[in-house]
Amino acid sequence: MKKDSRVASVLIAPSFIPLIAFLILPMIAAVTLSFASWDLLSPIKFVGFSNFKELFSHSLFYKSLFNSLIFIAGYLPLVYFLGLAAALGLNKKFRGSNLLRAAYFLPVVTSWVVVSLLWKWILNPDGGVVNSFLHVFGIHGPGWWTSPTWAMPSVIIASVWKDLGYVMLILLSGLQSIPPEYQEAAAMDGATKRQILFRITLPLLTPATFFVIVISLINNFQVFDQIYLMTGGGPDGSTSVLVQQIVKNAFDYGRMGFASAMSMVLFAIILLITLAQLRLQKRWVHYA
Amino acid sequence: MQRNARKKFTALIGIALMTGITVVAAPAQAAKKTTITYFSFSASPDHIKTLNSIVAAFEKKNPTINVKVENAAYADYFTKLKTRIAANQAPDTFELDYQDFVTYADAGALLNLGTVSAKDKSFNKNIYYGKAYDVFAQNGKQYGLPSSYSTVVLFYNKDLFNAAGVALPNSSWDWSDEAAADKALAAKLPSGTYADFQPVQFWEFYKVLGQAGGQFLSANKKTALFNKQPGINALNWLVSKQTNGWKPTPAQMGTMDDGAMFAAGKLAMWHSGIWEFDAMKNVPFKWDIAVEPGGVTPGNHFFANDVSVSSKTKNADAAWKWAKFLTSDASSVKLMIDSSWEIPATSAKAPLAAYLNSPNPPANRQAVFDALKNPVVPPVIRQQSQMQDAVNAWLSKALDGSVSVTDALNGAASDVNAILAKE
Amino acid sequence: MRKVKARGEYLTRSLLVLGALVMIFPFFWMVSSSLKNAAEAFATPPTLIPKAATLVNYRHVTENLDLPRLFLNSISVSVTVTIIQVLTSAMAGYAFARLHFKGKKTLFLVYLMTMMIPMQVIIVPLFIEMRQLHLLDSLLGLGLPMVVSAFGAFFMRQAMTGIPIEIEEAALLDGASHIRIFRSIALPLTIPALSALTILAFMSVWNAFLWPLVEIFSPEKMTLPLGLANLQGEHSTDWPMVMAGTTLAVIPVVLVYIGFQKHITQSFLTAGLKG
Repeated sequence: MKKDSRVASVLIAPSFIPLIAFLILPMIAAVTLSFASWDLLSPIKFVGFSNFKELFSHSLFYKSLFNSLIFIAGYLPLVYFLGLAAALGLNKKFRGSNLLRAAYFLPVVTSWVVVSLLWKWILNPDGGVVNSFLHVFGIHGPGWWTSPTWAMPSVIIASVWKDLGYVMLILLSGLQSIPPEYQEAAAMDGATKRQILFRITLPLLTPATFFVIVISLINNFQVFDQIYLMTGGGPDGSTSVLVQQIVKNAFDYGRMGFASAMSMVLFAIILLITLAQLRLQKRWVHYA
Repeated sequence: MQRNARKKFTALIGIALMTGITVVAAPAQAAKKTTITYFSFSASPDHIKTLNSIVAAFEKKNPTINVKVENAAYADYFTKLKTRIAANQAPDTFELDYQDFVTYADAGALLNLGTVSAKDKSFNKNIYYGKAYDVFAQNGKQYGLPSSYSTVVLFYNKDLFNAAGVALPNSSWDWSDEAAADKALAAKLPSGTYADFQPVQFWEFYKVLGQAGGQFLSANKKTALFNKQPGINALNWLVSKQTNGWKPTPAQMGTMDDGAMFAAGKLAMWHSGIWEFDAMKNVPFKWDIAVEPGGVTPGNHFFANDVSVSSKTKNADAAWKWAKFLTSDASSVKLMIDSSWEIPATSAKAPLAAYLNSPNPPANRQAVFDALKNPVVPPVIRQQSQMQDAVNAWLSKALDGSVSVTDALNGAASDVNAILAKE
Repeated sequence: MRKVKARGEYLTRSLLVLGALVMIFPFFWMVSSSLKNAAEAFATPPTLIPKAATLVNYRHVTENLDLPRLFLNSISVSVTVTIIQVLTSAMAGYAFARLHFKGKKTLFLVYLMTMMIPMQVIIVPLFIEMRQLHLLDSLLGLGLPMVVSAFGAFFMRQAMTGIPIEIEEAALLDGASHIRIFRSIALPLTIPALSALTILAFMSVWNAFLWPLVEIFSPEKMTLPLGLANLQGEHSTDWPMVMAGTTLAVIPVVLVYIGFQKHITQSFLTAGLKG
């Protein structure tokens, strides 16, 4: 135990020291700023809890928080199951499988600036690819990103499509770490493919699955780029999310303190969710 | 209290130094030459070479001064500038537009140029176009030298007008003339082509309000006045263009913005800024401009950019020389006009003649200057972005019909009043 | 029975190929747009393959940007940072997965916490800190905050917990130290994860925007995303030119991906042969 501590400090120090210096310290400063009023141009003024008081009476804050939750509720299940399907399908090597993997990964490397333009075009209410297709079947397609009801689904579809390859890559590396002997032995014992998948492969994949879920929640509570580029938070605030409010306040509105206070609340929410997941992991994550 | 807060903050950052990272000393600078920095947004991406030529001309004339140019796109510029000012690392000289200028001047980020211009005997403010010079003063102090100005005009596609057999716009038009043309065009234009495009947002509304004879804010900037009758007339006029089918809806525009639509020959009339001339140089149809139609009175935009000097600069004299050269020297002005960058805010007649006689469209460049006769100066407050966002949110509700024009203006007015209360 | 299996396989592959076509489409569209002239780029209905392909957009990009310099800066920062990040992540990941020490859970949570605050609010304090360290406007200052990634440490922790513990216990009984086990057992057995992390780390450093934006002032120290951002004008943007620039920027990431994918497959195969 004691020995472990020494080894552990040797292994952890190289990442922990930069972590303190370049992330934790600025974070502490941000905590301090959440009690201040600062436009970045004039001196900082400390204002106590007034940023938080304003925050909790700010209707836009609740609306943005709600929209962030809607985004995650739609995005996470879709991206996980589609990513898992792609990873399972491409796990086996066959002619062209490398090429296919690269294809699924391409959207991940393509910038949101390009992707958002493309999806606006695909989902364009008049003459877009999707609505033209629906028209063939006599269906009058929705207004997608121009309609308050459909704007969020539009953003979710584009995000799932873009991040699917990312989830696939992580799950694929998890699948490939599973020693093939396990599946082979089960097959020898006469297990069906379905049994192997549900009794061996998926349980052994739970550490990677756990990772995907924790990371996706942390990242997507902070969703911003695609919303900024596709809808700018509109129409009528229907896609306005928390980080968009934070960015606006920090730099456009000269309200760094208020933005920091918002970030603290966001931080607390993500932290609680992550803690709950860490607690619950014993029940379903299968570590070797 | 303030000083205390600052100390706490510095102490916090001080901890950073104790985490064991070696401090790398900055290389000592040679004392002979003064180096100043200039941070610009308007040069990206097409005019960086022009700016570099101006710097070269300046350095030739002032061999003891080096100008280090930094560029950022407009969308990122203010994030970067604010971060640098916050860390006391402001560039010595930088560009600002009029609507942002007030925020920086009020916060004490800008140098009062009166302190340096008094020492410069060769300086005379009459070298500038007066209106552009004056707007960069705050409480009687000059905080910037005007570098360029621009107006918004009515662009029109001659081919579409002629094909529809509608008389071409001229500078004496008012709203009713425009509406009549819109109606006539809409009846004749092929589908996918539209009569008119005028954005429904803050920057259009404040001006159309002026054309309707209204005022945006009270003189003391304490109350919103735009929800009175002139405001209702103004917004009704803007919204009617879409409800009548003269202006394309967002769905009809798809991924194209208004500029792309005009360039593609899909708009007969287009309300936009003179900065688009260069982009429309090579479109495959004939086009020209006219002064924008007025309402009960004519009214036009007036936008201006300036060069300001940081209040923290250590080289105020060099910074002043550069700001003055960039904004007014004959060689600088010529370079800007030759590369059709922006209109330099000079009062000299000769360089502007070159602009007027440019072989590139539009032919009626006189309209650019005629538009300056009835300027509506935009309402500018410290919390500018917040006011704009609040107004824009309500304007778009009026546009999509989810609330009535009157309710939208009342909603916007109450939001703006709340913002003004915090000024 | 065999026929049914083959048919199922056939169906899966067809679905995968169909999916791949959908996934590849934007990339194809980006490359295609970068070869169009301004008029065609916004034509309705859009053309999939440019009618009059032109390289003029690529010429514009090279005229407006000092591409060799941007690539050099981006590559040097990305490669260095990725190597350090993968290494420190693997070390921390091993410690969190396999060692027993006081405060492990709390420390791990602290790592995760660093991902929970948007970069936009910590960027100004970080900038001030870099000023104190005299590291503004330098590639060193640009890279330092990115050398550590909580994401990587968490990722490697998950991968290392997947190694059958029996192998290590045997090694420990033979008197091997943890450092030795880390080097000769944990690292080789997590090559698929290390490759995946390398790709993800490289991509995130390569695309980093907000921190480089404020940290770098001089044009000659800019990275590729900063250069590309400068292609967007105040009032209008030359989209075909931006598409050309983005296409060029994507190439290195795709190369890294293909390179490491091969590596994953190879190590997988050798592992299979051994077994």
